[in-house]
Amino acid sequence: MEPAVSNGRLEVSCGNKIPKSTPCPRPVPGEASGGCSFDGAQITLIPIADAAHLVHGPIACLGNSWESRGSLSSGPELSAYGFTTDLGEQDIIFGSEQKLHESIRYIVSRFAPPAVFVYTTCVTALTGEDIEGVCKAESERLGTPIIPVNSPGFVGSKNLGTRLAGDVLFQHIIGSTEPEQTTSHDINLIGEYNIAGEMWHIERLMQQAGMSILSRITGDGRFREVGWAHRAKANMVVCSRALLGLAVQMERKYGIPYFEGSFYGAKETSYSLRQMAYLTGDRDVERRVDKLAAREEMRLSLELEPYRKQLKGKRAVLYTGGVKSWSVITALQELGIKVVGVGTNKSTAEDVSRIADRIGDDAEYIPEGGARQILKTVRSRKADMVIAGGRNMYMALKEQIPFVDINQERHKAYAGYDGLLSLAKQLVHTLQHPVWELTAKLAPWEEETEFAD
Amino acid sequence: MSERPNIVDHNQLFRQDKYVRQREEKRAFEAPCSPEEVTDTLEYTKTKEYKDKNFARTAVVVNPAKACQPLGAVMAALGFEKTLPFIHGSQGCTAYFRSHLARHFKEPVPAVSTSMTEDAAVFGGMRNLIDGIENCIALYQPEMIAVCTTCMAEVIGDDLSAFLANARQEGVLPEDMPVPFANTPSFSGSHITGYDAMLRSVLETLYNKSGRTAQPGHELKLNVLLGFDGYTGNFAEMRRMLGMFGATYTILGDHSSNFDSGATGEYSYYYGGTPLEDVPKAADAAGTLAIQQYSLRKTLGYMKQTWGQQVSSISTPLGIRATDRLLEEISRLSGREIPEALKQERARIVDAMMDSHAYLHGKRVAMAGDPDMLIGLIGFCLELGMEPVHIVCSNGDRKFEKEAELLLKSSPYGAEATVHSGQDLWHMRSLLFQDPVDLAIGSSHLKFAAKEAEIPLLRVGFPIFDRHHLHRYPIIGYQGALNLLTQFVNTILDVMEEQAPDHSFDLVR
Ligand code: SF4
Repeated sequence: MEPAVSNGRLEVSCGNKIPKSTPCPRPVPGEASGGCSFDGAQITLIPIADAAHLVHGPIACLGNSWESRGSLSSGPELSAYGFTTDLGEQDIIFGSEQKLHESIRYIVSRFAPPAVFVYTTCVTALTGEDIEGVCKAESERLGTPIIPVNSPGFVGSKNLGTRLAGDVLFQHIIGSTEPEQTTSHDINLIGEYNIAGEMWHIERLMQQAGMSILSRITGDGRFREVGWAHRAKANMVVCSRALLGLAVQMERKYGIPYFEGSFYGAKETSYSLRQMAYLTGDRDVERRVDKLAAREEMRLSLELEPYRKQLKGKRAVLYTGGVKSWSVITALQELGIKVVGVGTNKSTAEDVSRIADRIGDDAEYIPEGGARQILKTVRSRKADMVIAGGRNMYMALKEQIPFVDINQERHKAYAGYDGLLSLAKQLVHTLQHPVWELTAKLAPWEEETEFAD
Repeated sequence: MSERPNIVDHNQLFRQDKYVRQREEKRAFEAPCSPEEVTDTLEYTKTKEYKDKNFARTAVVVNPAKACQPLGAVMAALGFEKTLPFIHGSQGCTAYFRSHLARHFKEPVPAVSTSMTEDAAVFGGMRNLIDGIENCIALYQPEMIAVCTTCMAEVIGDDLSAFLANARQEGVLPEDMPVPFANTPSFSGSHITGYDAMLRSVLETLYNKSGRTAQPGHELKLNVLLGFDGYTGNFAEMRRMLGMFGATYTILGDHSSNFDSGATGEYSYYYGGTPLEDVPKAADAAGTLAIQQYSLRKTLGYMKQTWGQQVSSISTPLGIRATDRLLEEISRLSGREIPEALKQERARIVDAMMDSHAYLHGKRVAMAGDPDMLIGLIGFCLELGMEPVHIVCSNGDRKFEKEAELLLKSSPYGAEATVHSGQDLWHMRSLLFQDPVDLAIGSSHLKFAAKEAEIPLLRVGFPIFDRHHLHRYPIIGYQGALNLLTQFVNTILDVMEEQAPDHSFDLVR
């Protein structure tokens, strides 16, 4: 990837277009599909931990989803509360704006959050509630920002919801506050959600190199801190195509250069840190990053030794169902694992070309089809394991295939140098589990019948 | 194994010095309000004044303890053989249902969506429904498709029966494929009413399709309904008990094998369930026994009216007395004696209860859950000498309240209890602080309030996301009573031991 700037001045950005209309294909009726736009928006914004997140709709959208995020917060936990207007029939018929007014007022008076996000859902979008109006009126009345998130489920996929949440951040929040202090080494992380505390690894590395995170967008984020994101020296978009648009908009409006990167794998981590340092335009920081990367990579390669031995030549099918595919491939390759199949169902053309750069034609591309396609690929490519998200886990286990969870709900952090080590250990652990010895052999009576035949 | 990988999870990792320091620095940088202010506010939320304000709340729900209708409909659909749950609405809900059920049962959950989008919102979802049916038949080869709606389809007023007729006319939907459907908007009812609506529709569709006329009492068999049940172990226990009676029976809606299949090396979409051809035959049964009431109202009504079934329904039979009643009902409906072995089992469980009673006696309890489960739990607690104090039922109604109150009045141990239907877990939190108790019983969602109140949570109900395998053990019947008892008393002993000063850290309890 080419750097976005030279001599610290903006020239061309690596992604200079907002991704076109839909970044991913429309869902097909009759298939097992992924989450909706509401889900995407909620997942993107919920890590803003001190804000209240109010879901305006019937119980469906929140009742089945609250408390299931894997984003960790180092302090406030208000965003873990499940707030919903829980609309009933009467509300649908007679309108529920009043209920929304009251709900917002109750939340603000009891929980005093710095802001309330109000999510539209399919129903409230259809019944044509004036959510923007309500939010505006209550913002004025209460003196607390009440932010409408207009991303009902039916507009499309989860990724689209993430993008819409990016617009919300840009339009309503970024630029609304000023930081108490800034340095010339302030970076925003965009699209890093602090799953299992991953961001804390990254933050520590950045600190060691003399850089700091100005705004966390949004993992372990705070409302005020997102507001001053426009004062950063650079934006890093953490392998999330859906939030690329936000970075592009910030570049246009505030002249903040950005780049896309990842923290999966040592190479990508070093690259990302270097790129950040480069964008700060401070030679000294660049030198520190170089030293840090060299030291960490050295240490890591020593520590990885025993695991690499055991993972070498293992074959994996990777189905992250999203944008992480290419970055995780690099991490796996560094461990000596061969990726023989990769899901591309939510990847953009650019993601696919990045995948191709990394694995060429050696792997099967799984564009869609969910469980059945994954299993087919595992069999035809003789894979040793599946690396995917929780929804596919139980299906893989039914087939007695070793499985490592790489998505949102996992409880292990895989980002950064330490993260790669964790991933290596987790993979070895999974592959070596004695249960596979059990499944590899027939039950004794089945063996006997075989002899008898 | 050559090398033992030492994998630290985030609990251990982020307790390391470097991360603790990092967090402290961050906190200092954030310049939050003073720790005193934080404590003061927290304390305030535990006061009576706050509780009153909390209970005066009408608009917003904070931390709900219910899911929506279509989730229940999906569970009902998976109670039948080779049946694909098909959800008419936009796609997100379906993803939620699948992960919600998967997280509880730790099993893959097949279900598809018509994935309605904006155009469908404007022009109606008929095309999505027809295309979706065509697609899912090709992909998943179901023998029955069970269609339910989400709130979105309901708001635009999609007419399912007309759409399905069109699908048949277009030749997309084979003439002989049964397609039960249920209107399950999430703005009314909850997962239990959605379960009911779908089950009823399945029975009706399959019965009508068979062209038979019910001849109730013609067969010796019993119909058995378990309702919205998060315990696959309950199905096995029910079968075991009926087997001991020597009764023949049909379980209507048996989702246990779909939610508890073996790892055989081959994944299938369909692992079992009530055979479709058993449904019309069930109309001839000698009687129908249901062990939930609130989640089966419409279904049982249909069976009574259209099939002319003799129906007996009780709430989830937890504990000794409720199981006694269950056995009496089985005996009455099947015309068979209660087997000796079950009587012995009863005596053994009663013995176990006596062994443990000292630790449970007088414990004050808060509980939240579905109405049938709560009725069962109240009864069991009273039997154990535990005192139900706060009972929160988000999806309860007047009838439930009355039944619960009546049950509570039947024992001095129920004297202090108050029943709150339609309330949420934030109400529960206020209750826990205003009038503290020793124990909480409920789903995983209750763990946050219980932690704040510093009381242990006994996980019973749905959903249980954060413990493994509880749902594989029965909680109904005598055996179930023993399982619950074991869990209850040992949790209490664990806590006692954790808190015990050295001089009372005993070996024998
Ligand atoms: S698809 Fe619509 S109704 Fe369903 S969860 Fe998403 S926003 Fe809610």
